[in-house]
Amino acid sequence: MINDNIKEFIYEDILPKVEKPGRYVGNEWNSVHKSLEGIDIRFAFCFPDVYEVGMSHLGIKILYHLLNDQKDIYCERVFTPWPDMEKEMRENNVKLFALESRDYIDSFDFIGFTLQYEMSYTNIINMLDLAGVPVRAQDRKEGQPFVIAGGPCAYNPEPLAGVIDLFALGEGEELLLEIMETYKTWKASGKSRQEFLRMAAGIKGVYVPSLYHVEYNEDNTISKVTPLYEDVPKKVKKRVVKSLENSYFPDKIIVPYIEVVHDRIMLEIFRGCTRGCRFCQAGMVYRPIREREIDELVEIADKLLASSGYEEISLSSLSTSDYSRLQELVEKLMSKYESKRVALSLPSLRIDSFSLKLIEEVQKVRKSGLTFAPEAGTQRLRDVINKGVTEEDLIKSVGDAFETGYNSIKLYFMIGLPTETLEDVQGIADLACKVLDRYFEVPKERRPKGLNVNVAASSFVPKAFTPFQWEPQDRPETLVEKQKQLRAALKKKQVKVNWHEPYVSYMEAVFARGDRRVNEVLIKAWELGCKFDGWDEHFKFDKWMEAFEQCGVDPEFYAYRRRDLDETLPWDHIDVGITKKFLKSEYKKSLKAELTRDCRTVCTGCGINLLEEGGVCK
Amino acid sequence: MINVRLKFTKGSEVKYISHLDLMRTFMRVVRRAEVPIAYSGGFNPHPEMSFGAPLSLGVISLAEYVDINLAQEVPLSELVDKLNQYMPMGIKVLGAIKLPEKFKSAMALITHAKYSIKAYIDDADTKELKEKLNSFINQEQILAQKKQPKKNFQIKEVDIRPMILEMNFDGCQDGICIFSCLLHSGSKANLKPEMLMQAFSDYVGLNFNRTTITREEVFVEQDGKLIDLLQYRD
Ligand code: SF4
Repeated sequence: MINDNIKEFIYEDILPKVEKPGRYVGNEWNSVHKSLEGIDIRFAFCFPDVYEVGMSHLGIKILYHLLNDQKDIYCERVFTPWPDMEKEMRENNVKLFALESRDYIDSFDFIGFTLQYEMSYTNIINMLDLAGVPVRAQDRKEGQPFVIAGGPCAYNPEPLAGVIDLFALGEGEELLLEIMETYKTWKASGKSRQEFLRMAAGIKGVYVPSLYHVEYNEDNTISKVTPLYEDVPKKVKKRVVKSLENSYFPDKIIVPYIEVVHDRIMLEIFRGCTRGCRFCQAGMVYRPIREREIDELVEIADKLLASSGYEEISLSSLSTSDYSRLQELVEKLMSKYESKRVALSLPSLRIDSFSLKLIEEVQKVRKSGLTFAPEAGTQRLRDVINKGVTEEDLIKSVGDAFETGYNSIKLYFMIGLPTETLEDVQGIADLACKVLDRYFEVPKERRPKGLNVNVAASSFVPKAFTPFQWEPQDRPETLVEKQKQLRAALKKKQVKVNWHEPYVSYMEAVFARGDRRVNEVLIKAWELGCKFDGWDEHFKFDKWMEAFEQCGVDPEFYAYRRRDLDETLPWDHIDVGITKKFLKSEYKKSLKAELTRDCRTVCTGCGINLLEEGGVCK
Repeated sequence: MINVRLKFTKGSEVKYISHLDLMRTFMRVVRRAEVPIAYSGGFNPHPEMSFGAPLSLGVISLAEYVDINLAQEVPLSELVDKLNQYMPMGIKVLGAIKLPEKFKSAMALITHAKYSIKAYIDDADTKELKEKLNSFINQEQILAQKKQPKKNFQIKEVDIRPMILEMNFDGCQDGICIFSCLLHSGSKANLKPEMLMQAFSDYVGLNFNRTTITREEVFVEQDGKLIDLLQYRD
């Protein structure tokens, strides 16, 4: 237990020594503080990255208020202490504390992690250790917190199977509260820790890895995964909220003091995506598509603006321009808020449905840069990945943007996509050059000055539950070659090229499709000093290699191997609703560069409509 | 245009919030409170607000000032109440005055600041400290080290003696020794209290376990007198 002296010591003596102490202070507007009287469950909601990143995430904001709206639950936030803070904490025997009460979280009922990207996994282990909680689930004793995790990376939970007690798969709004109810029943019953996990495994959407046994073949592939008991489901289905109408959305959000990455209101206009891009895990696992009604969105925006004082709303979803009445929504919001000087931003516009009218509407209050994602450089490769956009679409869209006065364009591409050749890489450069040409076509008097084209080329990482889940990743040496080629082809003063560290992408590929055997590698890498691996300045590739070596695990087996279509994949006992049959057929089509159309008009049979009784797709 | 000057506190809860963060916080408070603030023109309009002397991270203040520009008249007491209703913990508006059409900004006016300082010293010898402070303050010159943020944090030696108007020792209790000082503060000459305390601790050869600093008031010098910013008239 922590006492007030330690809290004062942290506040008065440690914080003055660290960079950005505001990260650890809490007390932000709309943060929730409760007295412990009448509290049954204390929940530490952990984001395994630094405050500025975690506080930019919509999911944590929704679930934080959802839990705190329950009288008997007190949910507090925890972010990963930056290494300077960690050093001070360890030197002074200070454990990981929650932002709101500054209490140590080792006495909480739950420690929850949101899994947004694989390269945050070592931070999870580090945070558990800093909290004074055993990093391996099997070492946790009666009375210690349960470690729960959810979020998009939880769909392949296996790389963390030995760390996390239970996973919550799918959308948390209903599921989390059901788990809390079960916990209360269990707590009152006085039964053992193991009993709670058994009870929880009975809730739809809960996966308890310790209740499954995995067997392997001689070639190291998986032979089978079996539940240890009859009442434990063979396949765990993800949860979805049937309709967003009246589904939970908080009417207030925390307003951070220090500047965070996304410092604005994020208005979730719909969930899911019907496009079916073959590289995109989100596009598959977030299905089905569900929109929020315009009136409800305006009502939510009203409440959030009033309670936060924010000056910007960003419309959040996977492919914003797919919202069926986007123009109407934008006009409604702008007519309401223009006079109040609220700016609107639309991330992720699609190239083929870019509307000038929409952009003119949006830029009334403030103008920011535009981002487009052609993803690949040639039409052939764009067809392989089912990104159904064309060069004409892009050139028309940027042309419109230049004519309206935009001078800053960001283009997203991936390198290392399946079937990619050097010609496709050259295609990226060619496309960027055509964007430049289009700019110079606008008469000098009319075009904005100072053109600035940002080409971001990230390395492709094959993910579970996508049609490319069987594909090998490009080796870092190949990726570096391709990056060089791109850099050489794009030596222009108006163009800036950015990419990911290919060795980070390599590790990401291992953990995105890893099985239980990489679990010990994670712990070993952490012991060797790996943390904040998503931050280039902290990424230690040699330590990672050392960890694999010491654990006798071959990373290439996970990253560079082409899987057989009949192989049992580590995540086959998880059901996200998209059938393996559909993914296989999509994979085969991709190799022939055949398109699958947007399923908004006609169902293409992904299987998600069978996930819930009664179906969810119209 | 209606110009208003506000005096507010920045308490311990928000002492680690930087000047820039504080400005953003005010902007959002004003929006939450629906105060009719005026906006600057230009491409990216921003609310018209100008703050007085920035505080160092970790310093508490009982006397911060901000000048704001309203598009519409609001009774001052109503303005103060409204703002306080939407202020986060630790910030409280203490008072407001109306300014004339043309005025000198709080930032430009401030010449002096008064601080109280709690230094945590093990087994402090009150008598000795008193004597040491006397001899410290009676030096012709006090050289202190100053980091220069604009020059790659190179260290420069400066004589801080001329910027100390007063420095007093008010005794110790339970290991906490209390000092107060009046220093030059503002665009012409500026001495940060933490720099003074560092110089003093070097001089006495003592390590302070902890120092907590509170800015008690800031002043403008007018006709040889120090006046606080809500009393000051041009
Ligand atoms: S079930 Fe059909 S309509 Fe629904 S997401 Fe899948 S393909 Fe699209």
